[in-house]
Amino acid sequence: MEKILGKTQIDGWIAALSGYEILAPAVEDGIWAYKPVNGEVRLDHGNTTQPPKGLSFPQREVFFSFEQIKGEPPRLTQKLPDAPRRAVFGVRPCDGCGAVRMDKVFNDHVVDNYYQARRSNVAYVGLACNKPQGSNCFCLSVGGSPVSSEGMDVLMTDLGDRYFVAALTETGKALMAAGGKLFSEPAAADRKLLEQTHAEAVAHPQRAVNNLDTVPAKLKASFNSPLWEELARACIGCGVCTFLCPTCHCFDINDENTSASPLKGNRVRTWDNCQFPDFTMHTSGHNPRESLGSRLRQRVSHKFRYFPENFGMPQCTGCGRCITECSVGIDIVTVVNKVTEHAG
Amino acid sequence: MPDNIYLPELARITHIKEEIGGERAIKTFRVEPVDGGIFEHDCGQCAMLSVFGRGEMMISIASSPLIREYKQFSIMRVGRVSATFHELEVGDVVGIRGPYGNSFPVDDWRGKNLVFIGGGVGLAPIWPVITTAVAQRADFKNITVFYGARSPRDLMYKAELERLRGDADIQLSVDKAEEGWKEYCGFVPANVLDKKPSPNNTIAITCGPPIMIKFVIQNLQKLGFADEQIYTTIENKMKCGLGKCGRCNVGKDYVCTKGPVYSWAELKELPEEY
Amino acid sequence: MIAVQDIRDTARDLLAKNEVRAVIGYRRGTNGMFAEPVVITAAEQADQLVWDPTCFHNLSLYLVEDRKFLKHVKQNPDLPIAIVAKGCDARAIVVLMQEHYFERKNVYVIGVSCEGTGMLDERKLASRGIQASDAAFDGDDLVFATAQGEQRIPAREVMADRCLECRTPCPKEYDALLGEDKTGRELAEPFAALKRFEEQDAVERWKFWERQFDRCIRCFACRSVCPMCYCDECVVDSISFPVNAQTSAEEKANRVRWIERSAVRSENITYHMTRAIHLAGRCVDCNECERVCPVNIPLRLLNNKMEREAREQFGYEPGASVSVPALVASFLDSDPGKFIR
Repeated sequence: MEKILGKTQIDGWIAALSGYEILAPAVEDGIWAYKPVNGEVRLDHGNTTQPPKGLSFPQREVFFSFEQIKGEPPRLTQKLPDAPRRAVFGVRPCDGCGAVRMDKVFNDHVVDNYYQARRSNVAYVGLACNKPQGSNCFCLSVGGSPVSSEGMDVLMTDLGDRYFVAALTETGKALMAAGGKLFSEPAAADRKLLEQTHAEAVAHPQRAVNNLDTVPAKLKASFNSPLWEELARACIGCGVCTFLCPTCHCFDINDENTSASPLKGNRVRTWDNCQFPDFTMHTSGHNPRESLGSRLRQRVSHKFRYFPENFGMPQCTGCGRCITECSVGIDIVTVVNKVTEHAG
Repeated sequence: MPDNIYLPELARITHIKEEIGGERAIKTFRVEPVDGGIFEHDCGQCAMLSVFGRGEMMISIASSPLIREYKQFSIMRVGRVSATFHELEVGDVVGIRGPYGNSFPVDDWRGKNLVFIGGGVGLAPIWPVITTAVAQRADFKNITVFYGARSPRDLMYKAELERLRGDADIQLSVDKAEEGWKEYCGFVPANVLDKKPSPNNTIAITCGPPIMIKFVIQNLQKLGFADEQIYTTIENKMKCGLGKCGRCNVGKDYVCTKGPVYSWAELKELPEEY
Repeated sequence: MIAVQDIRDTARDLLAKNEVRAVIGYRRGTNGMFAEPVVITAAEQADQLVWDPTCFHNLSLYLVEDRKFLKHVKQNPDLPIAIVAKGCDARAIVVLMQEHYFERKNVYVIGVSCEGTGMLDERKLASRGIQASDAAFDGDDLVFATAQGEQRIPAREVMADRCLECRTPCPKEYDALLGEDKTGRELAEPFAALKRFEEQDAVERWKFWERQFDRCIRCFACRSVCPMCYCDECVVDSISFPVNAQTSAEEKANRVRWIERSAVRSENITYHMTRAIHLAGRCVDCNECERVCPVNIPLRLLNNKMEREAREQFGYEPGASVSVPALVASFLDSDPGKFIR
């Protein structure tokens, strides 16, 4: 289903989406974030600081509660999320691709009940990038594109005073159908402008990871290179790169007690991070990844070598957040290019 | 697999045996389901045991899949959850979810000689293969068990090992001999080299401290074992057990799903990050 | 004006003469106009060093990393390590020495005065809609290269708040000093931003902080970047518990979890408040914690509050002098005792 929506009509479309909680980009505390729509919808954001992954994979997820009752086995009460139906507007193609990769992890081998409950209720209404949103975008060199519809239910393209709106899934079609007569049929001129806009977007220069298809083998060859420690020298071992990454999914599971006697509490999942010093620490004290270099190598290798080996696609979508937000200049494009260049 | 992959089943501790005491105590626990049946497993697979309010830990299932009534675990007291486990009593209820991981390809080994090489608490993860092979004795040729620990006091499954003599050639060793010790004195890998098991139509299965595994593999190679004939089971810190949380990731594998059982031919291809 | 060549020459000289084993400084990063920390070990690498308004990192963090690494490999080199230090960074180095984290002879301070221009606050620049590919000092101005050509802005307009309030733009502790002491700059009152914030009443302020702590994602960037947060085991954190082969099962089992990993209000409040209290009398207001926060929590206000207490109650300024005992590690007869009843 492909339609045209005048820019003045977008608030009307959103108002017609009853039964959905609508999220759209908004500035709060100086950063862009997805917020419930309050009045006008803004789509003039570059990209949000945090990707929309938190809607399906929140920082905190309660798996179940446990309660110790005297003389009885502990009572477990599972807490599957009652996830509201949501439509997120303004999702950039790099984040749509990010959702596809998150889905792979949480559906592989066994389906993650909690992720699935939330994800199945999140619809992505994407907005193509007519030009790179930041100086650190590199989606094209990692198999993506500023106009990609991967992971989207609907993809909008800005044609100036109107949007070209295309549904990619049944959910997308239903969302557009709710807008009814607000949409009009695209004319030949609209399609021509769409093609031109997309072509210009893709032709726009970006940063680039060099020769993506050679990267896995070169990462393998450079496993023991001293370059990793050198490249990680400034790293402070925080969680910014991973927590803001649209595809990073590592987590921890802990029991958080609310009462000691009688014992009550919740088994909780929280975001975790392979850059934290204790991520791989064994109970015995042995830490297979003790150095910052080995942890940088792990993150980069997981994105560009291990994940591709398992799923046939890189686990980096070129959004550039880790580069922009790293406070000490660790730059994944530079890292990959330096390592692969060094590998010869 | 249950409907909710993170929700454990409840299991009652029905048997506790102190294998060795002291600082690095090992206790063997048997658990039976509180309600209904318990999942089936294959040799080498693990389960996540929960102490509610403390946490979970991934432990190899030490009982043979042929035993349906209970699951056996031998747990060393090293950390937060295991220390709490050691304070539990018969009748206490814990959580269990599983089975996780891959298994030893025991069916491929029928008709072969089996050489087991265990050290310390590393005997437990390979114990299901030993006991299953002995239970199906006619399916296998020679069965040899090399097992060693620091001292005679640190050997676990002593009575069970004695019962195996006759069905299997039991070769015990201690690092440091004590009065009355009649068997080999020295490290487990040295004992293996000393007794020279033949690689002909043989599979070697080893588990123990990393340093022991390293030298065992070296010595087996010296004896002519090919990399495909050597199997081990590795450890890594685990949280979900389901290939999602990323903690046990080594190379392209999550050890909890693609491992923990590996042949040396497979394992040597992975980065040494375990 | 500081000539970057002077910094390079100083570094090159020290390395060539084998007087230091490394120099911690700034070099141009690959992320647009921003500088990044670098550790050079050879004289030839000195030409990488830069000096511009994006040199906001507190490099004393890397002195801490260096010390931890040496402890881990059990080495104790004779040669000191050199560090390019701004006035604020030099005070951080002094605090570390007040706390005996390392000795004076272990570090060679290449002091660089910021001569009244302070460091850029990238958010202030962004809020003016300026996207720059280069930033440079020019007298009292900052000069930016943009797609629309060169843009010149008075430094005070895009300078970080902490620079506006700063009274020590010129390092007091140094082995070599570059640049003039323009301490008389006085662009804003000390604690000016804190005073502005306190124009709201306590109820409003608490509501503000509740909302901020709801937003925290516990990435720990604030703690990771702080040179004073050098504890191997952080009390308010159940993840950085260093364990070795000798740590007993009891220690692991009995370690209290003061806060849970969930980034919820209660845990986040405990984390941030405890960290602020642990930094009382130790924070030099380098502003790195606030700069690195990906969700823009104004953390500096928390630390400023504690530092104002230290100033008013004890007349104490962290990092003023190595010979002054650390506030929280000493007791003077003249200390206020009103709270003792």
